[in-house]
Amino acid sequence: MNTRGLVARILVPIITAAVFIGVWAIVAATIYRDRNFLVPRPNAVLHAAIDNRSLIKTATWATFNKAITGFVLGSAIGLVSAALLSQSRLLTRTLYPYAVILQTVPIIATAPIIVLQFHYGRTSIVIISMLVSIFPVFSNTLAGLSSTDKNHLDLFRLHHSGRLSTLVKLQFPAAMPNIAAGLRISAGMSVIGATVGEFLVGQGGAKGGLGIAIIVSQAQLKTALLFAEAAAATLLGVTVFAVTNAVTNRALRNWHESALGEAE
Amino acid sequence: MRGVPVSTSGRTLPEHTDSNGAQPAIVLDAVSKVFANGTVALAPTSLAVNEGEFVSFVGPSGCGKSTLLRIVAGLVEPTSGRSITAGGATRTFVFQEPTLLPWRNVLRNCELLLELEGVDRAQRTQRARRALRMVGLDAFEKSYPRQLSGGMKMRLSLARALAVDSTLMLMDEPFSAIDEITRESLNDELQSLWLAANFTGLFVTHSVYEAVYLSQRVVVLSARPGRVVAEIDVPLPFPRTPEDRTSVPFGTIAAKVAKALREQHS
Repeated sequence: MNTRGLVARILVPIITAAVFIGVWAIVAATIYRDRNFLVPRPNAVLHAAIDNRSLIKTATWATFNKAITGFVLGSAIGLVSAALLSQSRLLTRTLYPYAVILQTVPIIATAPIIVLQFHYGRTSIVIISMLVSIFPVFSNTLAGLSSTDKNHLDLFRLHHSGRLSTLVKLQFPAAMPNIAAGLRISAGMSVIGATVGEFLVGQGGAKGGLGIAIIVSQAQLKTALLFAEAAAATLLGVTVFAVTNAVTNRALRNWHESALGEAE
Repeated sequence: MRGVPVSTSGRTLPEHTDSNGAQPAIVLDAVSKVFANGTVALAPTSLAVNEGEFVSFVGPSGCGKSTLLRIVAGLVEPTSGRSITAGGATRTFVFQEPTLLPWRNVLRNCELLLELEGVDRAQRTQRARRALRMVGLDAFEKSYPRQLSGGMKMRLSLARALAVDSTLMLMDEPFSAIDEITRESLNDELQSLWLAANFTGLFVTHSVYEAVYLSQRVVVLSARPGRVVAEIDVPLPFPRTPEDRTSVPFGTIAAKVAKALREQHS
């Protein structure tokens, strides 16, 4: 990457953030001067974050733990079911519409059912996180597996490749850019799923994760801490996304130029 | 690219005209193809190609040349008629695009078909390396397709087909997306490979000159629905050289093919 690229990729977002924080500081100091419990000042948020760092750390870790478990399980289910459906047009026709419908049911609406089945606790939260992680991986993988180049498929057929061999040696590798896209979306979704799950399931203390910590801070009108916790949740989501992005890009480095971004 | 060993004995005239000795590799018995949407791609066509022969197919766009090739490959079922290939024949296909796998390096791409055929690792590496040497890509074993030029990709595609030692090499406009100069050198290479390797070659192209240069026989197909309108022998000795492209006999034959082709457009 050249210097200009570096400036564009790193400096510009930093300037954006600085401008945002500046505007926020001005707004908090003027319009909300007497109502900082609604919009706290940036430095107050920073102080709240530092003062409560162990609470935030524990809560973030708890949420991460559930999110990553949900992500791994959800992705695995998404991959396997896409692989199965790709093998049978009948199966796809039968099940795909329901997969779409299942996806459109809001997780807020299904959560109570999940809690009824799995009780208030970690399991329910992991399942909620898992459920929101399945579809992006599933649909992207299925799209990738079913759009294999026809000439490649003909070549494999001509040389007596079986279904499994074609799936493993051709369809899956060819679908990698799609799978990576699905994984990136699911990674972000899993954190949202875990936080929302904690929100809905409710499990006391910092060990309950960021979802609970946020509810508690809101109830106690500790707005600065609430902002710090929201920032931690965002940072967690971004980190999980960025790590997934880096891992998939590395795995795809020999792929088409498009998947390489500016690495060339 | 001229470093490829070429058998100096060359080949004699095409043998399909006399029946003594030559074994047919492919016999097409009134094959036709009507697609599901009712399009007649290929009118009943009969044709025989002898073992070791190199035959080109030229014709207007959409005349069913590719369909014909796919029928021979067994990738497309003919609507009527039969496509018979000699017992023990093995087929491989070279597409218009190089159809390489971007996640495999050059050597692994070249090994692909051997791998699918269940050839063991040591053998397939050895055979792939030999094929890569033949097309002059042996120094690029570890490169990935995206690092190769268009011509190199096509050479790799040829090497991949060559490595499986198929008796039948079916080529569907393999050089049509390649610039003129690279194309001529690829023509020479393909000719050398054919002279050295002894496969039966079926070659679909839009280029009259390419067809005449490479083939012992050029089959001209009509506009859709495709049928054979002319079969023109090319009795020029092998190996042919770039100078032959401008020789009088070459020009006369090319003119004959071009005329037959032109009549399809009027």
